[in-house]
Amino acid sequence: MSSQLSSQLNKPATQTAGAEGYNFAYLDEQSKRMLRRAMLKAVAIPGYQVPFGGREMPLPHGWGTGGMQLTATVIGEADTLKVIDQGADDTTNAVSIRRFFAKTAGVETTEHTADASLIQTRHRIPERQLRNDQILIYQVPIPEPLRFIEPRETETRKMHALREYGAMQVKLYEDVARFGHIATSYDYPVMVNDRYMMDPSPIPKFDNPKMNQMPALQLFGAGFEKRIYAVPPYTKVMSLDFDDYPFEVQSWEESCSICGSDHSFLDEVIMDDAGNKMFVCSDTDYCRERVEQGFTAENPEGQQGLTPEPNQSQQERKTQDDTKAEEMAP
Amino acid sequence: MSVQVNSMNRGAVRSDLLMAGFDDAVQDAQKVFRKVLKAMSEPGTILTADLTDKTPGALNKSSWEIALTLFDADTKIWLSPTLAGDDVVVSNLRFHCQCPMVSEPAEADFALALADELPELKTLNWGNSEYPDQSTTLIVQVEAITNQVQDSDEGWCLTGPGIETERGLSAKGLPYSFRLDLVNSRKRFPLGVDCVFCADDQLVALPRSTEIKPSDNEDGIRNTTQQEAN
Ligand SMILES: [Zn+2]
Repeated sequence: MSSQLSSQLNKPATQTAGAEGYNFAYLDEQSKRMLRRAMLKAVAIPGYQVPFGGREMPLPHGWGTGGMQLTATVIGEADTLKVIDQGADDTTNAVSIRRFFAKTAGVETTEHTADASLIQTRHRIPERQLRNDQILIYQVPIPEPLRFIEPRETETRKMHALREYGAMQVKLYEDVARFGHIATSYDYPVMVNDRYMMDPSPIPKFDNPKMNQMPALQLFGAGFEKRIYAVPPYTKVMSLDFDDYPFEVQSWEESCSICGSDHSFLDEVIMDDAGNKMFVCSDTDYCRERVEQGFTAENPEGQQGLTPEPNQSQQERKTQDDTKAEEMAP
Repeated sequence: MSVQVNSMNRGAVRSDLLMAGFDDAVQDAQKVFRKVLKAMSEPGTILTADLTDKTPGALNKSSWEIALTLFDADTKIWLSPTLAGDDVVVSNLRFHCQCPMVSEPAEADFALALADELPELKTLNWGNSEYPDQSTTLIVQVEAITNQVQDSDEGWCLTGPGIETERGLSAKGLPYSFRLDLVNSRKRFPLGVDCVFCADDQLVALPRSTEIKPSDNEDGIRNTTQQEAN
């Protein structure tokens, strides 16, 4: 044991360092510890929403504080951060968030999915299969999948406790009765590890199959409602469906006008005042990568052997007669 | 060092017993947290946390670093008798983490125990069905942890979230009754206690979501290669 008091020792571990006026990654250490403890509970109970205390991270409106808080809590000097908004790295939000963490944490940033250790996202999962050494952080507006069925938190807590999810099945089946198919096309509820119903955040249901057995850790943050939930790597995540109406993802007649991809999530882009339109990959990095590898709209097969690996599970579930892409526009 | 049984309930910090925490409180806590996060999200994966030179009293490196990373004034801590009776441990936890100590395991957010002083699992807080997260996290110092479970009567075969197929794990020195209780606790999921086993600078986690089978009942789990992730 040491009886010597060094100057370093006079600083308890719980103190916040911050010579520049703010702490590393902006968030104070006490808030980080609270979020870290909540995060560990979230991965231990996959799909369960862990409430956390404290105040909302003071950030400009519209940034989505949940995802920012999680990123600030997890990020370290060795990380490389990618931020996507609707699949794109170059939206105002995505650029601002990347710059924010480059400034406050001094981390490397990238637009390349393959080069990122942390990916903060709103509304999409990258097309490229994520790896086990990557973490995907979702910005979540409304964490409770049962909220529109039952507004009272005390009641939804009970429904989760009793695994009483019949009301959601009824809601989806009403779609079938009315439209002949399940009309819900994003924010499509999933069951995690056969136990908790979870809101995957407003990603298109096209992305839902990617969550199943994903090698990367998935963390979800809702800032306003102060909830964290998680899906550990290699965890079963199944979209709700019915025996006679199995879960289906969106598909398009068209291919990407830039890279020719017939298997990615496509955005419809209006070209001119005459209303001419084209379809392009929503995942801008995936599209760029394919173009670099020689894929074009005219040559969708590209050069042999260079296809970036799309997520395999998404291919399995693809069908033709599904929701039109227009319904996806948020 | 002097052992005083009631010292954990004293508020005083003995400055002559204090030692340094992390060199860099912010960066080192982040590094340790990422190890614990990986451990908890990939149960059975052994990670190394080696950011401190000296540890207080009987605390080993990984349990001391977890304390510096996760304990604070908002977390109630229960210590097993030897740790609670050690002024060095108590003074350093109080000083560095400012954490309140409790005498009942059920009140604790974290219970920190030596393997041969484990509280009965049922005496810890398992959370409740609406808030299963309101549970005690158990940190246990053990002799050794290994993914090699061949010839081990303490070996486990782990399956569940975070494990692609299955993973072998053996934590040496856990009482038989505790291992049995842990296996049986799975029936009450999502209630339960998440465990972190700490051996010197190594740590491994066993959250409540992990299914545990004694490996001597399993043929497929021999010679699992040690998974060292950094
Ligand atoms: Zn494209």
